[in-house]
Amino acid sequence: MPQDMSAGQLDPANALDVVVSAITQEADGILSFDLRAPDDAPLPAWRAGAHIDVCLPNGMTRQYSLCGAPDDRASWRIGVLREVDGRGGSAFLHDGIAAGDSLRVSYPRNHFGLIDADRYLFVAGGIGITPILPMLAEVQRRGKPYTLLYGGRSRQTMAFVTELAQFGDNVILAPQDEVGLPDIAGFLADPAPGTVAYVCGPEPLVDAVEALCADWPIGRLHRERFAPKTKPAIEPGGFEVELSQSGQRLYVPPEESLLSVLQDAGCDIDNSCTAGICGTCLVKVLAGTPDHQDDVLSDDERASGEVMLVCVSRAASDLLVLDL
Amino acid sequence: MVNVRNVRGGDGLADIRAEVDDILESVIENTRQATEDFFESYGENPDPKILSAWIEPRAWREIDYVFLLNEQIRRYGMQFSRKHITLLAKQSFQEAEHYEMVGEVIESLGGTVPKSVPAQAKPWSDFLWDCLERHPLAAIAAWNVSETSASGSFEPTFKAGEKFGFDAVVKVYKKIAIDEKFHVGLGVQILSDYAKTDHDREEILRAMRGMRDLAWKTFTPASVKANI
Repeated sequence: MPQDMSAGQLDPANALDVVVSAITQEADGILSFDLRAPDDAPLPAWRAGAHIDVCLPNGMTRQYSLCGAPDDRASWRIGVLREVDGRGGSAFLHDGIAAGDSLRVSYPRNHFGLIDADRYLFVAGGIGITPILPMLAEVQRRGKPYTLLYGGRSRQTMAFVTELAQFGDNVILAPQDEVGLPDIAGFLADPAPGTVAYVCGPEPLVDAVEALCADWPIGRLHRERFAPKTKPAIEPGGFEVELSQSGQRLYVPPEESLLSVLQDAGCDIDNSCTAGICGTCLVKVLAGTPDHQDDVLSDDERASGEVMLVCVSRAASDLLVLDL
Repeated sequence: MVNVRNVRGGDGLADIRAEVDDILESVIENTRQATEDFFESYGENPDPKILSAWIEPRAWREIDYVFLLNEQIRRYGMQFSRKHITLLAKQSFQEAEHYEMVGEVIESLGGTVPKSVPAQAKPWSDFLWDCLERHPLAAIAAWNVSETSASGSFEPTFKAGEKFGFDAVVKVYKKIAIDEKFHVGLGVQILSDYAKTDHDREEILRAMRGMRDLAWKTFTPASVKANI
């Protein structure tokens, strides 16, 4: 899941250098990169759904899902689709990076974690398979029933098809040139109680799944999107907020509080003063820069950027990702 | 954890901050102890009417706060910013909600919701109204101590709730505990912003010292015996 981050800078406290130990052609236009610590020390632990920021030598920073095995602490794997209409990040990785090169990357973060459920439905489109792949192994390990519907233009363009064979009949491959568009509606119809769905892929796919799951209980659909090619128009003073647990993205207009937008979206956030004095509406910030306008967080709490009071505070960045 | 007593504001309390903090800490501890003592004695005879009698003076406090806050705004509000007028009014609204919620709990326990000041609450109430007469910040200082003291009662009440099963009381006081953080923070901010002179600070300390000696007394087992 590539996403543009501004400034190309990583927080030194949460970044490390890795070496590209191998590059593998996984499909047409898709390479995987195996990353190891320079001294082969164990890499930080992660769980299915996690991603890292990759700071490219040309100054760009991109986010990629980890798609290897979480219990392999010696190596991380990311899958990179060459984006035809991209801004050059994926092209740089494809054309400008070789085995043996160093990259600066962030510690893993996870806004798309696997929750406990009775049954799992996974929908992946194209490179959206990358965060889903480790999830399959995890739910299989837990002994939970699951099915993956994986669509792409053709088998040649779909990465990790061979690797998916280990999951047998739990995987439905849907190359468009063989079977047409995947029957997502049929796949998601009449879910058994306790079912959760995870979707990752192009915007139209995620939108379609969202629409089909509109009546599902809150928290049962989890999505991860590619960055939209055209960002929504953001007015001065407005900003976007992403809810990490569901992937839902909301727009906060300049005249509305973040608390109000979150409540309208169904988030149950305790609050009392709505004036930045009591601290009740404290929320964890996972990404983005809060614009603190409260009266009660300490200087250290503000500087950490890890928490904010949503009743009055806003965003200094275009996007905030909250642990909701 | 967010500490509302460190709310941003002016430096009006800077010279007396140490004593203010001592007063607030001591009143929390006294109230905590009084509450624990009450529930220890309650355990010998867990009669809902005893619990109701223990809560009744605090129901009065809630509605008395409504009267006091509105009189505070009427009498002194134009000395404050519009933001602070709004927040005091918001506090008043919440105190009215608390009176309603605590009233429902009292009735569910078989008690009677007070509509005039109960004997156990009279010293507390008289002191607050006297403070309101004396100085624009005195009542705010006094009820800041009183509100802070209540926070000492919450955890022992919740623990007792688990033990004796009075879930409705716990539910109400968990909501009140959230609002009290706002009330305490607002009081500290107003005192910090508007205390300008030594006389202001003397009145604030007088009010706080006086309420320190009163606030915890309605939480004791003895206060309940006087009510039944």
